Parts: sequence; C-alpha cells; structure tokens
Amino acid sequence: MDKLSVLVCDDDTAIVDALEIYLKQEDYGVVKAYTGRQALKALSEQKIHLVLLDIMMPELDGLLTTIKIREELNVPIIILSAKSEDTDKITGLNFGADDYVTKPFNLLELMARVKSQMRRYTALGSLATSSVIIKTGGLELDPEAKELRVDGEAIKLTATEYGIMLFLMKNMGHVFSTEQIYEQVWNEPSYSAENTVPVHIRRIREKIEINPKEPKYLKVVWGIGYKIEKY
Amino acid sequence: MDTKLKSIKYSAGAKTAAFIVVWLCVMCAVGSAVFLLYYHETVNSKSYYDTHQFKNEFSMLVSNAVEYNVKFKSEANIKSSGDTAETINKNLQRYYLIKKKLSESVNFAYCFKNTNTGETVTNIKVEAEDALALIQKQPSLVYYNQGTFVSDFPFNTGIMQMLEDAPYEIYAAVIEPLRPGDVFYDDNMSYSKNKALSNNATIILVLSTILTIVAFIYLVMVTGRRKPEGEINLSFIDRLYTDVYSMLVFFAAIISIAIAAQISYSFPERVEIIIIALVFGIDVLIGLSYLLSMIRQIKSGQLLRNTLVYKIFAICFNGKTFKTWTLLLLLGYGATNGVLFAIAAHSGGAGFFFFLFLIVPFNIAAVYFAAKALLSLSQIMEAAKEISVGNLDYALDNTKVAVAFASFAKDIQSIQGGLKKAVAEAIKGERMKTELITNVSHDLKTPLTSVINYVDLLKQEDLNNEKASQYLDILEEKSARLKQLIEDLIEASKASSGNLAVSVEKVDLHELVMQACGEYEEKFQKAELDVHITADKTFIAADGKHMWRIVENLLSNTVKYSLSRTRVYINVAKSESCGVLIVKNISANPLDISPEQLTERFVRGDLARTTEGAGLGLSIAQSLTGIQGGRFKIETDGDLFKVTVVMPLWEEE
Repeated sequence: MDKLSVLVCDDDTAIVDALEIYLKQEDYGVVKAYTGRQALKALSEQKIHLVLLDIMMPELDGLLTTIKIREELNVPIIILSAKSEDTDKITGLNFGADDYVTKPFNLLELMARVKSQMRRYTALGSLATSSVIIKTGGLELDPEAKELRVDGEAIKLTATEYGIMLFLMKNMGHVFSTEQIYEQVWNEPSYSAENTVPVHIRRIREKIEINPKEPKYLKVVWGIGYKIEKY
Repeated sequence: MDTKLKSIKYSAGAKTAAFIVVWLCVMCAVGSAVFLLYYHETVNSKSYYDTHQFKNEFSMLVSNAVEYNVKFKSEANIKSSGDTAETINKNLQRYYLIKKKLSESVNFAYCFKNTNTGETVTNIKVEAEDALALIQKQPSLVYYNQGTFVSDFPFNTGIMQMLEDAPYEIYAAVIEPLRPGDVFYDDNMSYSKNKALSNNATIILVLSTILTIVAFIYLVMVTGRRKPEGEINLSFIDRLYTDVYSMLVFFAAIISIAIAAQISYSFPERVEIIIIALVFGIDVLIGLSYLLSMIRQIKSGQLLRNTLVYKIFAICFNGKTFKTWTLLLLLGYGATNGVLFAIAAHSGGAGFFFFLFLIVPFNIAAVYFAAKALLSLSQIMEAAKEISVGNLDYALDNTKVAVAFASFAKDIQSIQGGLKKAVAEAIKGERMKTELITNVSHDLKTPLTSVINYVDLLKQEDLNNEKASQYLDILEEKSARLKQLIEDLIEASKASSGNLAVSVEKVDLHELVMQACGEYEEKFQKAELDVHITADKTFIAADGKHMWRIVENLLSNTVKYSLSRTRVYINVAKSESCGVLIVKNISANPLDISPEQLTERFVRGDLARTTEGAGLGLSIAQSLTGIQGGRFKIETDGDLFKVTVVMPLWEEE
C-alpha cells in the first residue's frame, strides 16, 4: 500500500518544514505548497489524502482554496490559522473544512487530529455498523460490547464513565445538568454542592477528546450542563 | 495731632453734627428770607413815610378832606344843592362818615387856602398862619396848587375832578411827633418794630447761609468716607435705586406742597406757620439726605448704574435674558392692546363693538403665536433632555421651530453633532485599538508557531547535553507563556472595549461553579487547597461562556496565588435582584497592592512577577462582568483576598 500523502500549504516555510518532519515521522508522504494556487495545482496532479491549509496566504487565501477543493474533492481539510476568533472557526468549518486548529499549535495535538481525520477518511464505510451502535462523527458507542470507540479506537472507561456516556449518547444533542446526570446514572437523588459529575466528565473528555479544552464531542454548556454534539 | 483731627473729621459724630447744622441753618435762612421778603417794603424804605401803606392811607385822607371841604363844604350846602332827596341823603351820609373819620385821625393836619378869597380852612385848632407853618414843617407835606401836586402820592382821579375849577391851595401833612389814637401811629409803631427785626433777620440770613454752605461743603467732602482717600461706603439708604429714590423725594415734595395749600386759610395764622415750618423741616431733612445719597452715588461712580431703569435695561438689552426685538414686540403688543382698549372704552355704542371685534382677534392671534413659540421652546427643551441622557440620534425638526428660537435650536443641534462626532470618534478609537492589538497578535502568532514547533523538534534530537536540554525546557515554558499572554491580551482588549458579543441566557450560577470546580479539581489538589462550596440554585441572566471565563480566571488566580494548605471558600447566594458569587482565599504573598490596582492590566499580586500569568485575569474578569451588566468587586483584608461578582437575576418573561 502506498504511503498516505498529506498536502501542507502555508506561506511560512519554517512551519511547512517543521510539519514535514513530523508528518514523515508518522510515515506520511508530504507534498509542500506555499500558496493557494500551488495547493490546487498539487491536488489536481496527484492523489492527496489530507490537506493542512493556512488561511492568510498570498495569491489565493485558505478559505477560497477550501471552496475550490470542495467543488471537486471530499479530501479532509484541516485549517491552520492565527485567527482564533469563534467566528473565524465557524466560517472555516462552514466553508467545508473538517477541523480548525489555531496557531500556535501543539504539534502532537495536530498529529492526533491528522490521524483522526485520516482514519475516518480511509476507513469510511469499511466498518460493519450494527443497528444498536450509537454514532456521532468519529465517536461510536456499542451497547452490546459496552465499548466506546473514537475513530475506530476503543477507549477504556470506568463503569461510571461508561454510564454517563451511555446516557448522554442516547440523548444526543440534549443538554443535561449535573443533577439530572447524577440522578440518571447513579439512580439516587443528587445533593447539591457536589462536583462528582463534572470531575467524571472532565476525565472522559481527557480520554476521548484530542484537546480536552476544546472538546469536539462531549461539550460543556457553561452554567447549564453537558451534551454530546450531534454530527 | 493731624491724624486725630482727620479721624474727628471723618467720624460719624462730626458728620451727624454737620448734618444737623445744615438742617437748622437751612431752616433759619429760609425763615429769615421769607420774613425779609414779606416785609421787603419795610426793609427797603428809609422811613414809615416812604411806605405805600402810609401813602395810601394819607392820600385817602387828603381825598376825604378835599371832598369834605371842597365838595360838601357844610350840611346846609348839601341840603340847598337842589339835588334829588335821594342824592342829598346819600351825600349827607357820606358827609358824616368823612367827618367822623377826619376827627379820628388825630395826627392828620390839612390847610385849604382859597386863593380868590384868601379864606383858610384847617382842622388844627390854632391860628391859620400858624397852622400853615406847622404843616409846612412836617416831612410828609403835600402841597397842591392849580392842578399840580407837589408829591409822588398816588392820588386818584376823583380828587383832581373835585379840584378842577376850585381855586384852592392845599397843604396836608402828618404832624410829628405822632400821637396815639389813629392808624398812622399804630402803623408807625409796627414799622419801627419790623425795621429793627429785619436787621436781625438779615444778619441771621447771611450767617446761616454761610454756615449752610460751609457745613454742606464739608458734608459733600466727607460723606461716604470713613477715612481720607478711603473707599466709598454706601449706607443702607443708598441701596434704593436712585431713580426710585428721586421719585419718592419728588412725591414727598408734592405732598408737602399739597399740605401747605390745604392748611392755608383753614387754621389761625400762627398754627399755619408752625405746620408749614414742620413740613418744611421734614422736607429739608429728606432733601438733604437725598442730596448726600446722590453725592455718595456719584462718588462711587454708580449714580446711573444704580437706577431701576438701568437695571431693567441691563437685563433686557444686553442679550442675556432675551433678544431685544422680542422684548420690543412684547411692549408693542401691550401698547397696542392698551390703545385698543382705551379707544373701545371711550367710544360708545357701535365703536365699542367695532374695537371689541378688533381686540378679540388681535389677542387670539397673539396667544396663538406665543403658544407656537413656546411649543418650539418645549421641543428644543425635550431635544436637549434626550441628548443629555445620551440619545444622540434624537432628531430635532428645526423647520417647525419659531423664528425666536431658531438660532437656539441650531446651537442645540450643533452641540448634538459635536457630541455625536466625539462619541463616534471615541468608539472608533477604541475599536481601532482592539483591531491593532488583534492584528499585531496574529502577526506574533505565526513566528511563535515556528518557535514552539522547532523547540519541540529540537527536544526530539539527541543532544547529549544536559545543559542544552535544560535550556530547551526554559524555551518551551516561556514560549507557552508567550502564547497564553497573546491570547489573554486579545481577550482583555476585546472585553474592555466592549467588542464582544454577549448572548444572555438563563444560567445556573450553581451549576457553573460546580462545572468549573470539576475542571479545577486536580489543580486544587495539586496546590493543596481545600475548597468549600456553599451554593444554592441561582439563575442569573448572563452569557455562559463569559461567566465561565470569569469563574475560570478567579479559580486559576486562586490556584496560582493561594497559600498552600489553606481553605478556599466559594459561595453562591441569591439576593432580591442579584445572584452573588464570592470567592475567598488566603494569599501566599502579602497583598501590598490596592484592590483598584489589582484589576488594572498587567498588575499581579506578586510584585516580583515570579509566578506564571500575565496579570490580565482580574482585568478580563472585571471587564466581562461589566459588559454583562454585573458588578465586580475586590476586597483585601490582610492576606484575605475576596472577590465578589454580582449578576442580575434571570427574570422569566
């Protein structure tokens, strides 16, 4: 099997070079580009499995490049940008990007995201999906096997953590307060001034999220509760 | 000695004395002047015989004597005259009357000499020649011959007619020394008395006039001054407007004249003189103080300025109160109304109604225009009020504003425009600042990415050098710190400029604190802090994300700066209209900084700046609380550090 290739596009050569070193360590093939146009040209010439794209670039910026790519290809796109506003992230994701990483980024975190996207892209449709499996994005909960998988990888959870995930996954998209979660999972009335549930949830996040501070699946709705994001 | 004199000169006693002197002297001077005027003939004549009083009396007697001796001659002569009985009777009566009067005038002597017959008639009981000689010796001699009087006596024409054809020489005189018993004696006595008195009156007049002038000049010099060249002290009476004062004095004068006119003929002469003197005395008093007051006003240079008219003009015409022409319009309105009313009142019947029909529409029109003008004034006032409370976009329609207030409306609009511009510029400035910080931060982030990445790559290399890897650790730590700083900087600038979107929702402060503590559980344990939470369900109106940032900053502050192995108290409570979050902890370092300074950007609890953090946490928390409509307060008490966040409660619609 050929190496999976990643297109790295940034006008800052130092960043491109650093990324190349890391990606090669992870055994990916690397194609380098320094403008949006070069990126589009590379995509039209060879098979690319994932694109890392900067927004602020000369000639053609990252957002327009994303739109052009999405006109033809379904390849995963991770945007790398110094723009850290919520609106910038939302715009990027709405334009067709699969993930958004703000500069300065942690290379390990970025590699985790690359791997996650790559697994989903390459393993798409290959997994046998049973009807009982609850799924959102790369997150799967198999009640029969009592197993939680992220991008196909099983995660080790304690019984309580699994209980919480089961309850939240079953009611995907709904927000539950700590009190409700406690009553549902522990099956006993909750006493206030306890932060048991929040602590458990943080631990789950640390296990399933690439960046627990910016969770993709298990989200904190501050002052209201928690929910599993529906993708 | 000199100064003593001066102090006496300017003393109140001296002034009062001078005042009284002037008053008395004026009274004396006027009294004596009146006396001299009244008896001016006595004063001007050399003797009693020069007076008109004497001359009239004397010529009357001469006339009577002529009538008696030339016309009637005797009782028999009258009876035999051949006139009607009535005339005879009348002449007889007259004859007796004259006879009686001549006999009573004991000092009057006459001698009629008939030039034809040489016969002499006289009333002196001596020989005819003696009588003539005696009369001719007297100073008051009157001699008549052939139609010519040797004398300047005012003889009437009747006497000339009587003597026209009569061949008489007439000698008449008052015999000196005068004997008591007739009018000449009495008059001469009173003449002598008055003559003597008038000499005294003249002396009094001259003396009192001189005294008056001297004392008055003194008063003019010293009035209003307490010391030489000192400033002018105005007395209480000078506070009266000078024109009002003048009017009052004028009225006083009129009243006293009216009193004088009223009392003459209605009282005995002596009482009358006393009353007039009294009134005059009061008048002099008033007049004198008035004069001195005016002099003081002139000295202080405010004679004109202290008038009521000047004050009114000053108020009306210096443009401060109102425009001159509006005032004139008002006066014109009043005058027109007055004239119309006067004409209506004076013209009867049809004229009355005609002018009534003029008055009513005129006044309705005036009220209409006044109301319109006031309406525009209230419009302008409303606009000013709106602008003052911050509604800078309030539109004042100046096309409908009355002419009187047009420029006022324009001024208000230009103030509004200026204010708007200033506010817009301030907002723009703040936004530009935020944008600048954000842009600079973006530009910092790109190279920082490389720094972090290559530090990471370098760490993977086999350096075989313990020092090098130590240095790398420092580089890694500091670059992470730099990253955090940049992010905090962006957030702080956005929060303080209000450049953040706030979506208010129903947030349970209790839930939020639980979640936050869940996030910080391990950090608290690591810092060896014992966290005590007391919380009730408290629904506040806030943006959950911003609230989380506030709580997170407070908790991270607590973790960073608390003394280890102490307790941290977190308290959520509910008051009537607010949800209150209180975080208390014990500071590891002494809190030498004031609570106000702690919320300033880049100020940190430890002055040495050895701990991590940019010093932006509390500043961000305060700004975020502010933009959500809450209050943020820091209190320190020794090492106790207490933060209170007060947020408005959620109200169900």
